[in-house]
Amino acid sequence: MTSRKQAAVAGNPILGIRVLLDFLALAAKGVAAGIMTCVVLAALVLLFSGVAGAASFAPGDYIQLKDVETGSLLIKAEREGLYRRMPLLKTDVETRVSGIVARTRVKQQFSNPTGERLEAIYVFPLPENAAVDHLKLHVGERVIEGQIKERESARRTYERARSEGRKATLMEQERANIFTNSVANIGPGETVIVEMEYQQTLRYDQGSFRLRFPMVVGPRYIPGDNVVAGVAGSGWAPNTNVVSDAARITPPVLRPEAGPINPVTLRVELDSGFPLATLSSTHHRVSIAPGSRSTKMITLNDGAVPADRDFELVWTPAAERVPRTVLFTEKRENRTYALLMVMPPQRVEPAERRIPREVVFIIDTSGSMAGQSIEQAREALLLALDRLTPEDRFNIIEFNSVTTTLFRQARAADGQSLDRARAFVRRLKAQGGTEMAAALNAALNNSDDANVLRQVIFLTDGAVGNEDQLFRIIHDRLGDSRLFTIGIGSAPNGYFMTKAAQFGHGTFTYIGNPGEVKLKMSELFWKLENPLLSDIQVEWPAGAAAEMWPQRIPDLYLGQPVLVSAAFEGNVDRVIVSGRRGGESWRAVLPVDRGEVRPGVGALWARHKIAALMDRLRSGANQDEIRSAVIAVALEHHLVSKYTSLVAVDVTPGARLDGPLQTAAVPTNLPHGWQYDAVFGQLPQTATTGPLHAIFGLVAIMLAALLWCLRARAPGFVRFPGSGR
Amino acid sequence: MKKGSLVAKFAVALLALGLWQFGEAAYIYLKAELAQQLIKAAWNRTRNGACAVKPWPWADTWPVARLTVPTRKIDLYVLADASGRTLAFGPGHLSGSAMPGEPGDILISAHRDTHFAFLELLLPGDEVCIQTPRGALFRYRVVGAEVVDKSALGRVLSDDGERLTLVTCYPFRAINPGGPLRYLVTALRA
Repeated sequence: MTSRKQAAVAGNPILGIRVLLDFLALAAKGVAAGIMTCVVLAALVLLFSGVAGAASFAPGDYIQLKDVETGSLLIKAEREGLYRRMPLLKTDVETRVSGIVARTRVKQQFSNPTGERLEAIYVFPLPENAAVDHLKLHVGERVIEGQIKERESARRTYERARSEGRKATLMEQERANIFTNSVANIGPGETVIVEMEYQQTLRYDQGSFRLRFPMVVGPRYIPGDNVVAGVAGSGWAPNTNVVSDAARITPPVLRPEAGPINPVTLRVELDSGFPLATLSSTHHRVSIAPGSRSTKMITLNDGAVPADRDFELVWTPAAERVPRTVLFTEKRENRTYALLMVMPPQRVEPAERRIPREVVFIIDTSGSMAGQSIEQAREALLLALDRLTPEDRFNIIEFNSVTTTLFRQARAADGQSLDRARAFVRRLKAQGGTEMAAALNAALNNSDDANVLRQVIFLTDGAVGNEDQLFRIIHDRLGDSRLFTIGIGSAPNGYFMTKAAQFGHGTFTYIGNPGEVKLKMSELFWKLENPLLSDIQVEWPAGAAAEMWPQRIPDLYLGQPVLVSAAFEGNVDRVIVSGRRGGESWRAVLPVDRGEVRPGVGALWARHKIAALMDRLRSGANQDEIRSAVIAVALEHHLVSKYTSLVAVDVTPGARLDGPLQTAAVPTNLPHGWQYDAVFGQLPQTATTGPLHAIFGLVAIMLAALLWCLRARAPGFVRFPGSGR
Repeated sequence: MKKGSLVAKFAVALLALGLWQFGEAAYIYLKAELAQQLIKAAWNRTRNGACAVKPWPWADTWPVARLTVPTRKIDLYVLADASGRTLAFGPGHLSGSAMPGEPGDILISAHRDTHFAFLELLLPGDEVCIQTPRGALFRYRVVGAEVVDKSALGRVLSDDGERLTLVTCYPFRAINPGGPLRYLVTALRA
């Protein structure tokens, strides 16, 4: 039709122009009608949607409209404030791994780009089992060694130096894996370096070794509501009746748009002691070069990376060289410290009578899980559902601000229940708070039915500040259940993951990126479905007076080694380690007198002892007794603990004292893959799409009317002479 | 002729589209109005001691308070949680914010073009009352209002006094529902 009209127009120029004019006139009328319609509509919509007759507030009482448009928004002012007084931070990390022990040196370089004297406060993570034993303050050429003191005494020393204008640094522990460094009197344009060192044992599980260096304290959810005096801090959360030190564990978080900050450079010198089958980094691209002798040097490919996710290095020994035992010793004064590791045989027993299981999944759907984390958690949960058999019973508990359970009670894992469960899991969305206590209370009920194996599988990033309260719930309500934590995301709370699993008599697993879900889950199923090594005993010769930590060795899952630290006097030639898996018993003899001498074993022993003492607090031990016991061992071994801090003070006072000292918290990045608004929340979206629909609707109706008119005129328009062939 | 009928068909299609869109809008406002009636019944049962009464069987929310502004003849039932689904039916109480009588900030939000259109008319000194399911009546006096970015939630909630904050979107007559600004009316316990 179009082509025919075009042909007619082309064949008769004058007619063509007439038609064109006719058409233009009509189009103009149409546009005019359209505009009229819109005006009428706009008026209608305004009447329709709003309450007419807007009274306004007296000026001064309320923010004015022009203020709004020029952007007097408080959030913006806050952000500018943050920039104005921000100390800059660079971190350099150097780790030496030998066998199952690593020693790490961390250098934090604080510079002051402002024109004022600054006190920088930096809240940062270290591995949850780090034994921090050295602190040095570098001021230009001078190096000041840190002293270990009781926490209050160290703080007094630091505060005195601060008020005298001296440079000083104080390292305090807030959680097993959260520390605060305060650096006083950084002059305008000056740079100060704080150097610390720690020792740790590595994780050896399922045949692979893991080194983790956390880089950022993810924003923690702080439950509780009454604001309490608590401990002073510079964080974004007020102290509450549940987390009395919330202000000390919530460093300010920069909005991701402001760009990554806090660059980290990192080197690992790896002396594994055996040929490697694999060596890889989970979250960072690294390059691997041969180092001196049999070591390997691992460096970050990108030079400096932003401190926004954990660094994790994983290596596995070549098949025939899997280490069975490790024995390190250190002699100090008349005591010998020993670190013993022995890997029980991995032989898998043919499955005995299969005990029916009741599996309860807890999945964290709080705002911090939004983004990649919830996807990984959903995928992991779906894999776990596939693994259930019809004899098993199961349930799913989802929690954020509220706790929702899939079924009222655990149900048999038949096709119908599983279908409902899968649909439930696929619908899960991450938003809201992290009220974990309610979910744990719902999952753990002191059940002790010997005929059922009750396993609780907990998927979370552990971004909470009330670890103590939660550990107590697990301790009190566990019964015969076993709790397995699955740490999700780029910066999980390692302290929560490991301790919750320990109090829950289970294990922990990390899933750092989507590619790992399948592998890590199958490793976990391997553990869940094979018998435990139980009744583990370590026999010391009579008269050795060995002090061993942990004192009682928990049951071990397939692929986990026995790892203990001990201190003893005199000579011990050997210890006997024994246990039972399924129906078979197992026994190993360790020649302690032939252990490899290694400095730092004493510090590890002390760290294990402190951890064990702190654990007793959750089972109701006397606080004062634990406190003095921890202080005694921490002071003796020069270790930072909840009750002891390292402090270093420059001898020479600062040059200028004019102007007040400004205290500034070093902001941190949001962990990689997290969503800012999902964590810090936003005010609800509160407008309906009503006006939009009304406008669309009315415009469409008007256009329809217009077209109808057009149709009425159409015959005269289309039927022109010469076309009627 | 053929052309004319094509235009006519198009016009009819547009009319249908227009009616449908108009119907959508009408549905939104009718739902907002009618739901409050159903919620009223649920509230009455809540007042008689029942707990978390769902106003209709498939609801995922329930009334938690009654909000009245005597001078403006406003009478609304506040629902648990302030998610998008809830707000279609009534003002929502942001979970995690305080409840009347507790220290902290009570945060209630509703749509600017339905239940909370009246926020624009509130003046300092106006009285806003909140009744709890147990019957206790809490009176608050409006002290001011401000416009903030939607991300200011943390700052809004961090107060420790007994405060009521009513939230809606801003500007009131914007056509686009997804704007970043929020209008906060703050009232203190009278």
